Order: sequence, then structure tokens, then C-alpha cells
Amino acid sequence: MSLKKKIILGLAVILIGIQFFQPLRNQSDEVTASHIERVYNVPQNVKAILTQSCYDCHSNNTRYPWYSLIQPGAWYMARHIKKGKEELNFSEFGEYSARKQRNKFRAMAGQVKDGEMPLSSYTLIHRNAVLSPEDKQVLIAWFSTMEDSIK
Amino acid sequence: MKNLTLSIIAVIMAFVTVSCNQASNKNEQSSNDTAVVSQEQSASQPKEDDTVAAPVVSETPSSQEAKATGKGEAKNFSIAPIVTDYLSLKNALVSDNDKAAASAGKKLLATLNKVDLKAIPADKHKQYMDIADDAKEHAEHIGENVGNIHHQREHLASLGEDLKDLIDLFGTSQTLYQAHCPMFNDGKGAVWFSENKEIKNPYYGSKMLTCGKVEKTINSK
Repeated sequence: MSLKKKIILGLAVILIGIQFFQPLRNQSDEVTASHIERVYNVPQNVKAILTQSCYDCHSNNTRYPWYSLIQPGAWYMARHIKKGKEELNFSEFGEYSARKQRNKFRAMAGQVKDGEMPLSSYTLIHRNAVLSPEDKQVLIAWFSTMEDSIK
Repeated sequence: MKNLTLSIIAVIMAFVTVSCNQASNKNEQSSNDTAVVSQEQSASQPKEDDTVAAPVVSETPSSQEAKATGKGEAKNFSIAPIVTDYLSLKNALVSDNDKAAASAGKKLLATLNKVDLKAIPADKHKQYMDIADDAKEHAEHIGENVGNIHHQREHLASLGEDLKDLIDLFGTSQTLYQAHCPMFNDGKGAVWFSENKEIKNPYYGSKMLTCGKVEKTINSK
């Protein structure tokens, strides 16, 4: 067997091998009591946008696409979700202090307005998570109202 | 022969995966446990350490109550180091320096992490924790956002509110001027604190350095 073949074989083995190392899935059927939709009255249109563009990384429930089953994609995605939930977790929104909630609403409006969120690395693959200008308006208006409502 | 080697490798990999997963699960669990324990400890410590039987405050006392019972007891605890770090952060943003702002943000985070929680009067403990928790997040973000001064400034606006509440709770050892910028945050406005009466706006820096006005002078105690 030539060296080239050995290298290819070795890589194939590694690739197959890492398929066994699947990170824990971020999935839960339960809508937690502190989920934002339980704590606040989220209008239907806002809810639809949040579900489409935000919850995958910012809640306890991710809709996994097929390619997330293939390594190393799953690791990459798991890291994103972990970081996303650290910053903001809609499933635990009700547990935040009033101060934190107010600041989160303000930060969300700012991030959407500046086009920082959803991350471009995420929308690159999830094209349907891209926010239209109308979506942005809807979100920013609602976030802003919510920010002002929490004193 | 080669097939045999391959399958052996695959089996070994599979075993390693299983054992790794178990190990990491255990780790996660045990670290969760310690987190809970340490939380409980920090919650109960101030009560134990207080020689004076402080009333157990489970709900947030109204700010007026806090003022009536507080101030005098707060002698041991001072927010001066926090104020100092905030001011150098604010000054970095006045001079449009994102790198200096980031290092000031990191310093503020370190200062907040170093605070001796036992020195805080029990009746103000919960309020302090809420504020500090929030302030740490803002300081951290400012530290991570070299190159995005606009984002650093957004977090400064939130920090300004945190600091305002800290000053309400604990007073300040140096005279501060509370100033207001009406334009920032889409016209919602933002406060900032300065060691000088002279207006130097940290939210816009050189673009609108003298925009804003002093709302209040907070005398040192």
C-alpha cells in the first residue's frame, strides 16, 4: 500500500472515529416555567420570528438540521449554542432580575438594529433565519416597548 | 488483515467514546452540585457572620426602607474601587479609545469579582448581588469588544444605571457629578458619572464632546 493510500485511510478512520463523539443535544420538550413566552405576553408575529431566528441558540430547545449530526459540525454547533445560552436564554428569561431583563431587551434591540444578530456565520447556512427589514422593525419595536415596561 | 486492524480501531474508539461521555456527564453533575453548595453558602454567610441579629430580608426592601436602615452600617463596605474603575473606563470612552476601555472593563470585572461580600450589610445583600451580577456582564463585554466602541458604549449606559443604584445604596467617598446625555439609546437617554463638573460625553466622544448636562451633584460621605 502506498503512503498516499495510508494517509487517506488514516484520515477516513479519524473521520469515522469522531462520529462516535457526539456532544449532548440541546433539546427539551418542556416549555420551562421561566420561558419568556410564559412570563410575558409575546405577540404571535414576534414569537414566529424568535422561533425562526433566535431560539436555536438562545433557548433550551434547538431544531437540529441533518448536517449537525455529522462531526465536526456538531461540536462547532454545540459550542455556539453554549455561548449563546450563556449570553441570553429565552427558556430562563423569567429567572433574570428585572434589571437584567431590561438590559437584555435593550441589548437585543441594539444587536438586531446593528445587524449583529443573528450571527452571520449562522445565517450563512440557515438562510431562513435571516431577518427581513420588516422583521427587524417588529422585533426592535417590541423589545423597546418591553424595555420601557420594566421599571 | 487491514480490515481487522480497522475494526479493532473502530471498537476501541467506540469504547473511548462511551467512557468519555460518562466521565463528562459525571463531571458536569458534580460541578453542578458544588455550584449549588457554594450558592447556598454565600447566601447564608452574611447572616451567620453578623453579630448583630440582622432581620432576614427575603423580599426586596423598598429603596426608602433601605435608606432608613442603611448608610450608617455601610461603613466597612465602600464602592470606591468600583467607582475608580468606572471612571477610568468612562474616560477611555471620552477619548474614543476602545483598547483602553477594554482594559478598564477587564479591571472593573476583576474588582467586582474581588468584592468582599461579607462586608455588605445583610439588608442590602440581595440588591447588591443583582446589581453586581449585571455590572459584571457589562464590564466583561466591554473588555471583549476592542474594535467595537459603539457596543462598549451601549454597555457603559447600562453600567451607568448600575452605578447610580450602587451610589443610592452605599453612597460615595468622592464627590461625583451625574450627567445626562439625551440622545443616546435612540433618544431614550443615558446617564454617566464624572469626577468633574465639566461635560465630557463618553457616549459620543470627540463627535459631541460637550453634549449633555449635569443633573445632580452627589456629595461624598
